[in-house]
Amino acid sequence: MTDGFSVEKIPWQINANPHSLGRPLNMVALLLTKRARKIALTEKNLHVLNILTHDLWCRDSNHDTEVTLFPSLFMFFMFFMFFLDFHLLTFPGTLAYIGPGAGFALAGSFLAVFGALVSAISMLLLWPIRRLLRILFKRHPPRKPRFKRIVILGLDGLDHKLTTRLLAEGKLPNLAALQTQGSFQALGSTLPPISPVAWSTFQTGVNPGKHNIFDFLTPDEKTYLPKLSSVEIRSGSRHIGIGPWKITWHKPDVRMLRKSQPFWKVLSQYGIFNCILRVPITFPPEKLHGVQLSAMCVPDLRGTQGTFSQYTTYPKVEDKKTGGEVHRVQRRGDLIMGDLLGPPQPTKPDQGSLKLPFTVRIQKSGAAVLTIGGTKYPLKQGEYTDWIPVRFRAGWGVSIQGLCRWLLLETDPEFNLYVTPIHLDPEHPAMAIGYPAVYPIYLAKKQGPYATLGLAEDTWGLSEQVLEDEHFLQQCTDIDRERESMFFDGLDKVPEGLCVCVFDGTDRIQHMFWRYLDEAHPARPTEVPVRFQTTIEDLYVRMDQLVGRTMARCENHPTLLMVLSDHGFNTFRRGVDLNRWLEENGYLVVHETQRDQDYLAGIDWSQTKAFAIGLTGIFLNLRGKFAQGIVEPEDEAQQLRDEIAGRLARLVDPKTNDAAIKRVYQAIKAYRGPYKENAPDLIVGYAEGYRVSWDAAVGRTSHTLFHDNLKAWSGDHCVDPSVVPGVLFCNHAISSESPRLLDLAPTVLDLFGCPIPEYMDGKPLVVGEQQSVAADVVPPPFTPEACVA
Amino acid sequence: MLIGMTIWLNQIATAIANLVLAPLAWIPGGLSLTLLAAITGLVMLVVIKYTSHQPALQYTRNQIKANLLALSLFKDHLGVGFRVQGALLWGAVRLLGLSVVPMLVMTIPMYLLFSQLSLWFQSRPLTVGQQTIVTVQFGAGQERSVAAIQLNALATPAAMVTSGPVRVTSKNKVCWTIQAQHPGLHDLVFQVGETHFTKEISIGESAMPVSIQRPPRQLTAVLVHPREQPFASDSPVQSIEIDYPRRPPTWVTGSDWWMVYWFLASMVIALLARPFLKVHF
Repeated sequence: MTDGFSVEKIPWQINANPHSLGRPLNMVALLLTKRARKIALTEKNLHVLNILTHDLWCRDSNHDTEVTLFPSLFMFFMFFMFFLDFHLLTFPGTLAYIGPGAGFALAGSFLAVFGALVSAISMLLLWPIRRLLRILFKRHPPRKPRFKRIVILGLDGLDHKLTTRLLAEGKLPNLAALQTQGSFQALGSTLPPISPVAWSTFQTGVNPGKHNIFDFLTPDEKTYLPKLSSVEIRSGSRHIGIGPWKITWHKPDVRMLRKSQPFWKVLSQYGIFNCILRVPITFPPEKLHGVQLSAMCVPDLRGTQGTFSQYTTYPKVEDKKTGGEVHRVQRRGDLIMGDLLGPPQPTKPDQGSLKLPFTVRIQKSGAAVLTIGGTKYPLKQGEYTDWIPVRFRAGWGVSIQGLCRWLLLETDPEFNLYVTPIHLDPEHPAMAIGYPAVYPIYLAKKQGPYATLGLAEDTWGLSEQVLEDEHFLQQCTDIDRERESMFFDGLDKVPEGLCVCVFDGTDRIQHMFWRYLDEAHPARPTEVPVRFQTTIEDLYVRMDQLVGRTMARCENHPTLLMVLSDHGFNTFRRGVDLNRWLEENGYLVVHETQRDQDYLAGIDWSQTKAFAIGLTGIFLNLRGKFAQGIVEPEDEAQQLRDEIAGRLARLVDPKTNDAAIKRVYQAIKAYRGPYKENAPDLIVGYAEGYRVSWDAAVGRTSHTLFHDNLKAWSGDHCVDPSVVPGVLFCNHAISSESPRLLDLAPTVLDLFGCPIPEYMDGKPLVVGEQQSVAADVVPPPFTPEACVA
Repeated sequence: MLIGMTIWLNQIATAIANLVLAPLAWIPGGLSLTLLAAITGLVMLVVIKYTSHQPALQYTRNQIKANLLALSLFKDHLGVGFRVQGALLWGAVRLLGLSVVPMLVMTIPMYLLFSQLSLWFQSRPLTVGQQTIVTVQFGAGQERSVAAIQLNALATPAAMVTSGPVRVTSKNKVCWTIQAQHPGLHDLVFQVGETHFTKEISIGESAMPVSIQRPPRQLTAVLVHPREQPFASDSPVQSIEIDYPRRPPTWVTGSDWWMVYWFLASMVIALLARPFLKVHF
């Protein structure tokens, strides 16, 4: 064929399709067509496919339909992305990934829209089936619940007396509205009225003899060293390897020491949903129907209850501070280098802590740049950074992650930097801090990083004079804001069921700022800065506003709203050194050379019959209970209890001539239940203005019985329960007189129509209807006796 | 104007690709494609990092993840479920909005890269002695030219005409069967009267760019065939095409699969590099 001849179509021309870029795109497009899907991938059919492809191609090459390529390209793209994202969506870590190009981002977004629609439709279709299964197989409350939703807003330490006063002054309009709608009463706390005990009673509905929490600390029976009373964190070792080659790593083994069960566990058994946020003594988290975020006793990344760090060039700062560490650093020009201390080495704990180096470059006076983990963060004097993630490398591919905030205190003439305790990163928690385990992650995704440490507000930082008042206040308000965000999210997500959230800021701020409220406080400065004169009043107003916002969110739901506190507050002017009193009265012997040592180290146990440690208790050195006990448990012990209680109750402060102690309780009589033996033998109910001294609380014995409290920690509630009742507001009338914290658990169970377990000590409160007309409600009189469980 | 700009961009891209992609000739196909995918993935990451609103992207992604978790955490109440779905949908729409800027920025470079890569990986050059078909497409009303065109064998020593021309007058096409003679990149020269038209031909065992078509001056064609200058709109010849053989079907460098592999490999690299480059998308 050397010369041309004309044909319409010659057979070989069919196969003369160019293998151009357009071809595979068209092939995929064709695969999506009904026609092509019917074609099996046999050789014959591939040929047919080829023909079809060619048809499309020919049209392209003839430029009849230029557009065919682009729909094909788009379809290929979407087809490819569908498969890709289908797989990627199955991996949470790669969920966000949408390809190397921005086009992928676009397609990924389309897919997310598509996924959301599919998910919504499937949820709608599956809901009747799930509902039916629940009706058929789930347990239901025997009685009809009175309320679809119960919301309990806990304001730790909100004082009854102060609240009453501010209500009368018209400064708490939202709480006043709540009172008008329902009721406001004093709420009897527990013995002792301290948070771990009180919140344990709140959640279990039993007295401490049944839930086993009597104080923050309890002495170890072998070593007398104080340990946390509510949780035991042990370093468990695990091994992996073959023969002599073994890798050992240490993982904390966390055990809850609180006994009995929270009432939301009972609710869970009846299929009622619970959202439990930051209620103290819920760590480690327990299984429930709903969600829970743990609070008090959640450790920091170092395994402590909160250790702040100070990096300074000041030469005269003490190395040791309670609740924190001071690291002396050197300034080289504008550069300061330091190491942030993290958790112990997981494989070799004896080699100390993991370290994360950081640098601070001072740019000008009051401004610097922090570089940690390869990221730079600006530091401005007096302003906290946001939460900064820190990652400690614990081995190849293993890291432990935390969060902390940094505060540049000073750049000239000396450098001074404060770092909060390193909180567990809620997005990557080193241990479970919520239930289900993804709930803290959900919150972190929803609202950003947040404080996870049990005692999140760094009171020691202020008490040890590393922080200024305003720095501490800033911490508290920031944490409250985070808490409010998660609480309101809980309210949004739980239209039916129980929602409980506890705010701790009220307690911490009153602890630290009472000196500005109490004009006779020894720690009160001569001139109180204007901005701090009404700090506590401002706090109450702020909490009132929170209550207002909560009420607004409950308006459209049939909700029973309770606002309560676990105890009230009181001034702490004078500390009583119980160990000194025991020494003076011949019950305790101290080696003079070891008098200043913490944790009962200087005590001669062979001659000591009683000792004090913790915030409210005196322990008898009982034979059979303590390793070096000398007091016989039966008659001698009882005689000793009577004797000490009688003499101590007559203790008078020589400086004021006031009785320092209101009443001394014997645990054996005050508590009922299987764990009352673990309680201190005597619980001291201090009078207003008194508390155990700082020395005695940590097991030291000083030279004097009474001490002026000169610390910023100036308010307290470790006194007689009658001195510090809490508050109970409800948007429905509560006609029961003298309600107690103990009664809340049975009340909630009763309102949800669930049977009240027999072991519970509390009685359900009588909850009436909401009062629609404003009534002149007068809070019922408060009776101190009602406080004691 | 758009076509002109595309042609101009193609010229620049081709010039750069001739330099940058030249080492592909000596590197095995799979390795070179993997290398390119890695570079693509990393470059895309960097581009996304600096052209997108990273905090907003991170926030939106986190909201989407939170809502996905909320679906499993709060499934008791249908109303809550729907609200979460709504939030999920809104998050997706927001993400879409946030992706527009990087998408716009990346569209042209991605197109240029993709079309240049297709020259190297979509088809195989002719081997010496191999026969194939060359098709010249004329514009409408060019019957004279269809009759007059010749493949100038003297000016085209790289290939020998073994049959043709076959003139398909109804479609204004003329075809030849040619046999590759000498390895390398050469030009086929066609003559219509006094006018010469050229088409690049790739012959040899080593990797080299393969331009399937010298395109007409039309956007779709210019986009897909970037290497050679398009014919002018008033040119009697509208396109010249060579039927190159497909690459052997492998999952890495097969004629169609190289794209899939390139996409996947670049994504894997991007995923692995994401934490180090601290990019949110």
